[in-house]
Amino acid sequence: MTPARLIARQSLSGLTRDRSVLILIAFFAAMVLVTAWLGWSATNTVDAIYVDAATYLAASGQPVPPNPVSQSAPLAVLRNLGVYISLIGAFGSIVIGQLLIETDRRAGTLPLIGARPFERSDLALGKMRAMVTATGAMMAVAAVISVAMLFTIPSLVVRPGDLLRLALFLVAGWAYITIFGFVALGAAARMPATASGLIAATVVWLVVTFVLPELTANVHPTAAINPVSTLATTPDSVFFHLMSRVLGPLSLAEGFAWASGDLLSFLPDGLAPRGPVPPAVALPVALILAGLFAAHSSAKLDLNAGGPDA
Amino acid sequence: MPDLLPSLSGSVTTIALRDAREQLRDRFLLWATLALIAAAAVSLVTGAIALHGDAATYAAARAQLLALGKGASAIAAPEFYPLKLMRGMIEQIEIMGAVIALVAGYRAAAAERGRQTLALILTRPMPHWAYTLAKIIGGMGLAAVSLAVVFLATAILLPIVSGIGLTMGDALRLVLTWAAGVLYLTALFTLGFGLSLWAKSPASGLIYAFALWILVVLVAPQIGDTMDPDNQVAGGVFAQLSIPKAEQDRIKAGFAGYETFRNGIEVASVTKHFERFTFAVLGIKDTYTGAPLAKVMAEKQGDLLFLFLFSLGLGGLALLRPINPDRLTKES
Repeated sequence: MTPARLIARQSLSGLTRDRSVLILIAFFAAMVLVTAWLGWSATNTVDAIYVDAATYLAASGQPVPPNPVSQSAPLAVLRNLGVYISLIGAFGSIVIGQLLIETDRRAGTLPLIGARPFERSDLALGKMRAMVTATGAMMAVAAVISVAMLFTIPSLVVRPGDLLRLALFLVAGWAYITIFGFVALGAAARMPATASGLIAATVVWLVVTFVLPELTANVHPTAAINPVSTLATTPDSVFFHLMSRVLGPLSLAEGFAWASGDLLSFLPDGLAPRGPVPPAVALPVALILAGLFAAHSSAKLDLNAGGPDA
Repeated sequence: MPDLLPSLSGSVTTIALRDAREQLRDRFLLWATLALIAAAAVSLVTGAIALHGDAATYAAARAQLLALGKGASAIAAPEFYPLKLMRGMIEQIEIMGAVIALVAGYRAAAAERGRQTLALILTRPMPHWAYTLAKIIGGMGLAAVSLAVVFLATAILLPIVSGIGLTMGDALRLVLTWAAGVLYLTALFTLGFGLSLWAKSPASGLIYAFALWILVVLVAPQIGDTMDPDNQVAGGVFAQLSIPKAEQDRIKAGFAGYETFRNGIEVASVTKHFERFTFAVLGIKDTYTGAPLAKVMAEKQGDLLFLFLFSLGLGGLALLRPINPDRLTKES
């Protein structure tokens, strides 16, 4: 067994013993279950409203527009999944990133790890390996529940192409939450004070989720966590066009929301992603940069700082 | 007994003031306030720019109609109420303000446990609840000062970005919103403090507090918002189908059960009550725009009462729960 693999295994066994991680994953799984019901229920209601409205329009001699939900794809019932991945999934990933360093630091095992014949790069690789495995496990849970729900909802015809799109969406979701996990891992490695990594990564996540969308397209915080409202066109003003171009590639929450809409087939017609860099490029680049930050910070981790008595 | 109360109030004041001094010394209050001011400023400025864009579009369309010899009444003029621009800012207080309050609560507990001073304080002749009360009062003071600075900055910025001065009535509405904000943030401070004090380690308490924050502040209102049929279709389902208001109300009446369930999920969240109260007071919600304050207060006293009782209940729970002697240190 390579040293990196050994460290990853030790880190993962520590995570599985932590009650807060298990509670967060259970919470995430419950919300994935709720997602499909929410989508199905809301779609049915809009459909019923349309029937009432069409009756009124026909009776008053007005033209009846097409049903807004008749063209929706089966995957659109999972439209809330992107929101829960970006909220609970990202936060769970931040907690995991923090705990991967903090658990060893508080238990006083970091100096012991340093005394073993490991390279610092092994430590960094091991922690990052544990990170991607843990976030991968979270998305695997989401995948199993989503597929089961898709085949359970009546009147939903799921084709192989839909499953491929769902798989791509889950990969994008994995990349998105792992970015924040790497930020938390790197921040926890750099800041020995208890919970500093958790707080620093949470601040980054808050800015990306709730501040950047306001700057790029005047999307208010509550609209930012609505899968439909967040897919708004950029307001027609010089300021917002400029901010979209400059901040669009950094506005990862909007990029992920756009990718979710595109892959789950509920993207409004003709809506372009913010800025000149498409999410298919921005998300992998952000993942690589966050990974480099985590690798560099873990490799430079002071094994004697902090500790149980700090 | 007569000597006990002055002695207790003295201890409570001493601990609360010491907390306030500590927050000022390590600049947490400064950074927290600056973060909220920055978030509020971003919301106000972007809202004003979007409104100016709407006004320019309206002016151009109006000019075009007049040039064609048609009346301009066919298009609706954009509303211009400066307090409406505070929508994004209120939402930032709901979300970012709540996180800051949770972290402040965590710090108030972690500092005592980390330095082992909690055990020392509890050797003094004062009941445990008095110590908890002092901490909550300290947190409330922190929220009051921080939000006062944010609202003051807003009162200065609003006339600049909107081009319309604030009236005394507007100032009163700002004060009411500030007071509701202090209550809301104090409740979240208490949550962060209580969980960080009672959990095995303060960091675990903060994780639980953040998880509850996601559930109460983000997920519950989000579910209610997502279930709103008007949020299922871009631009709104009724707008897309061009249904007049009277007919909308008739159709909605047929979905009363669904709407009650949806509303029930929303009102389970204290955040939604804070939002409904402040949106009404500031006239952000269209039905309350320009409405007299007395009418708003009469209709929204239920939301204010919920906010008050939630804070009181959470505070009461924190005061009544005994401090576990095994949890007096950072790691237990």
